[in-house]
Amino acid sequence: MREALDQWLFVYGAYALGIGATLAMMAWSWLAMKRAEARREKVRSGSRVGK
Amino acid sequence: MHGFANPKRFLALAGWLTPLLLVSGFFVTAAALYWGFTQVPPDRLMGETVRIIFIHVPTAWLGMGGWTAIAISSLVFLVWRHPLAAIAARGAAVPGLVFTLVCLATGSIWGRPTWGTWWVWDGRLTSMLVLAFLYIAYIALAQAAQREGVSARIPAIFGLIGAINIPIINRSVVWWNSLHQPPSITMGKSAIDGVFLAPLLFAVIGFSLIFGGVVLARMRALLADIQADARLRRRAMEAD
Amino acid sequence: MKAKHQRLVLVVLALIALVGAGLLAAYALRNQASYFYLPEQMQADPPQVGQAVRLGGMVAPGTVEMQADGITVTFTVTGREDSAVPVRFAGILPDLFQEGSGVVAEGRLAADGTFEADKLLAKHDENYVPRELQDMDEHQAAEMARETTIGIE
Repeated sequence: MREALDQWLFVYGAYALGIGATLAMMAWSWLAMKRAEARREKVRSGSRVGK
Repeated sequence: MHGFANPKRFLALAGWLTPLLLVSGFFVTAAALYWGFTQVPPDRLMGETVRIIFIHVPTAWLGMGGWTAIAISSLVFLVWRHPLAAIAARGAAVPGLVFTLVCLATGSIWGRPTWGTWWVWDGRLTSMLVLAFLYIAYIALAQAAQREGVSARIPAIFGLIGAINIPIINRSVVWWNSLHQPPSITMGKSAIDGVFLAPLLFAVIGFSLIFGGVVLARMRALLADIQADARLRRRAMEAD
Repeated sequence: MKAKHQRLVLVVLALIALVGAGLLAAYALRNQASYFYLPEQMQADPPQVGQAVRLGGMVAPGTVEMQADGITVTFTVTGREDSAVPVRFAGILPDLFQEGSGVVAEGRLAADGTFEADKLLAKHDENYVPRELQDMDEHQAAEMARETTIGIE
């Protein structure tokens, strides 16, 4: 008796997981960077005005 | 962080390099995975599941490469006191952790149809899981050090000590006989047929570009945070 | 106060992670060192009858036999040296279980010297070869494999 699993299901699962996690990481790191740099600019311009 | 080296030159470089790496990495990886998913013939024994190699192997290498980067940057920071090296070490932590987790997850998915089990306490699998825990501990430690104003030397030392795990992962399949197969690709040699090897190399290049782009993005985010905090602190002191 | 708490929680988390990592490593080592047997080891220094161990080796070609009940399979596992351990397994075979390829059997040694497996895991080797080669005759495939799989000692 063999298991006879559907191999494609495992391939789909692995690709969905790997691609999803990688894209999410790229998007998150980009957005976090933009947010942090925007905050720095705000703090900088704020200091010139003297708050 | 006192005596912060002027990161202007780094920021000028990372300004254009970050999007370039991310975009080029995206397209190279997409092409390599499309190639591996649709064009490659099934393996003699594993059948269609061999396609998982195009995600599993690049993420495994980069998961280990990430900690190697942490260790080297930490060493540079500890010896030459270059603050940008501490930022670089922290920048490699998140992509390293994500790729290690992707490697573990895809390996588990691959193990079920090929070995007959999702997980086994094999030397290779266990040491890779330990690597994921090390990343989590390192990220928590580095964050805490920054928030509490503790010396960045503590996470750097942790990064160096944790590097012991890297050669253990590398040698695990040789030292402990178990389920994970021995390395297919060693210095200059490959037991992988060309039809699988070519897209695998492209996938490695693509994932590496993404890795580099994410490291730069993390470094820019960390730098911006440190600079903003430093300015706020200075202003608070002037106000007193 | 809050910062102190946070620090405490972080230290505890880091400690738990490190201790957990160490325990996992030790657990894995223990598993490998004392519970994993090669066929030659199992013959030279057999584990106690009934003790749960793992047996890893190659499925000897031509020894896989389906018993009359249609679910029990018997075969012989060989190692590098001239050794052979008979194995009995009742259950579903993994898809990659094949004669001449690697296998890890979890189970225990029976009094008659047969290894009673509860679970069979197929072990893949380091070679990745496309399926086209399988349709060639053995000689051609071996030739082709030799050309494409460099570096196996």
